[in-house]
Amino acid sequence: MSGSVLEVRKVHDQEKKPEQIITFIFALLLAIFVIFPFVVMVSMSLKTPGEQFTSPPYLIPHRPTLSNYLHVFGRGSMFAQYFLNSLLIASVSTLIVLGVSVFSSYGYARMDFPGKNVFLVLLLLSQLFPLAAIIVPLYRIMGNLKLIDSYFSLIIGYLVFSVPVGVWLLRSFFLGIPRELEEAAIIDGCTRFQAFWKIVIPLVRPGMGATAAYIFFITWQEFMFALTFITSEAKRTLPVGIFDFVGQYETNWGNLMAASILICIPVFILFLFVQKQLVGGLTQGAIKG
Amino acid sequence: MKKEGEELLLPFLKIRVMNNKKEWVSGYLFILPSLILLIILVFYPLFLTFIYSFYDMSLTSASARYLGWEAFQKLSRNRMLSLIFNNSLTWTILVVFFQFLLGLGSALLLNKSFVGRTLLRGIVILPWVMPGVIAGMAWRLIYDPQLGLLNHYLQTLGIINQPLTWLSSPTMALYAVIFAAIWKGFPFSTIMYLAGLQGVPPELYEAAEIDGANERKKLSHVTLPCIKPVITVTLLLTFIWTFNYFELVYIMTGGGPAEKSHIFPTYIYDLAFKRFRFGDASRFAVVDFLFLLIFSLFYVRLSFRSEESS
Repeated sequence: MSGSVLEVRKVHDQEKKPEQIITFIFALLLAIFVIFPFVVMVSMSLKTPGEQFTSPPYLIPHRPTLSNYLHVFGRGSMFAQYFLNSLLIASVSTLIVLGVSVFSSYGYARMDFPGKNVFLVLLLLSQLFPLAAIIVPLYRIMGNLKLIDSYFSLIIGYLVFSVPVGVWLLRSFFLGIPRELEEAAIIDGCTRFQAFWKIVIPLVRPGMGATAAYIFFITWQEFMFALTFITSEAKRTLPVGIFDFVGQYETNWGNLMAASILICIPVFILFLFVQKQLVGGLTQGAIKG
Repeated sequence: MKKEGEELLLPFLKIRVMNNKKEWVSGYLFILPSLILLIILVFYPLFLTFIYSFYDMSLTSASARYLGWEAFQKLSRNRMLSLIFNNSLTWTILVVFFQFLLGLGSALLLNKSFVGRTLLRGIVILPWVMPGVIAGMAWRLIYDPQLGLLNHYLQTLGIINQPLTWLSSPTMALYAVIFAAIWKGFPFSTIMYLAGLQGVPPELYEAAEIDGANERKKLSHVTLPCIKPVITVTLLLTFIWTFNYFELVYIMTGGGPAEKSHIFPTYIYDLAFKRFRFGDASRFAVVDFLFLLIFSLFYVRLSFRSEESS
């Protein structure tokens, strides 16, 4: 009896084997496709200047060195300053967006008022045009307010695209929390606001974390506003700042790639922590919306 | 059936109980901060862009001259408009199409079980997470005629005889960036479709197996219909984002050589901040916005209609 079961299983396994191999080959191909550019970056960042310009190029450095990384923080390099600028601007933007959108998204998710759908459509509509379409008026407004070349110009500019995203994402997290909890709290004598503040907010905390991470991530890497609104070197953010390594005639690829990897690391780590939450929010938000 | 109907009604009944003036007021209070920001920072500038588009205008507003509809007549004769439009459509359609294929394929793959799946799921997302500027620089390095590994590998494999100048060739530049853009953005589709696949009830596959369906039949009769709503949303989102995606083209080619690889956002930016022709930039921006608006409206209507009929 048990022998026949084993036999059946064996046959089944043999049938599955070619399929598994094919799956594995595709997985390998996908991994190579995804990773290749990162490998190129790491390889270049570990090469000495002599090796960087060897022709034909090769992937594995013969004498790997960390000197590019040291150079990025070395004398005459503004990288540390850019890093602080980026950190400050992305953090402040994230805090503001979170503060604004936590109320609004709750309003959209739970409350009922005339014109709600119109406002929701407006929110979506704001995703339809390129930032390039409003950068001219924004630039003029910033100019009139004497904000050009200040951190404020970027923080305000970043609200343009991150508030709608924040509201939309958080709304999907609120929608995932059962209404009954608040209703029970209200029946027990809480006001509407107390129910929101004491019952719902603690529950939605993981969602807030994911939203904050996402807002930080899109402001951390923003390029067009940073390129336009900031004119002095000391106030540049990282995405614009790495062009210090791109000379007019020659690019210092080793330093550039070392700096690029250093810029990627914070967002990669951030994503590691919130990936599950964020994916849930993005997919739910898109489908329920 | 009856029970289902009651359940559907329940939320409406609840809303009616809670629906009073006080609820309105607090609702408005809750959404007010974001609404004010949205109006000041998004819709007011957008309105200004529409106004500017009727002017001949450069950096200093003192020299602004009202053109009215003549401005758009002039635009329709602008030969850059058709080039930009063609480029933008080529760029968007190719990127969205291949992101769809690659996203769906990789999602189906990552939904199977194999050694290292968890690791691959984590890695796959990286291109989408990395800053666009850096992705652009990395691909510039890969495409570089002297330092780039792409030419080297293709030569080793005997596919090409001599190094190609991918990004400085008028015919190839846009397509080279398109390839990079597919790589950069497809993980978003993967995430969406993977989430969709995980929501397909396993009973459906079991039933299909009992009916003797093979893998292909299962895909076309169970999987795809089940994740169709996700596909509809993802295609629209990637279309809009790709159409408006600025960084990659700007970093990799700057719209060049000879303006042959410009798309709407990069050309608008160039007009505004390299040549300070704010009026022209605004007109291209208006065309970009109206095109996406009309496209999205049609898309949403069509997908709703097909949903109703099926």
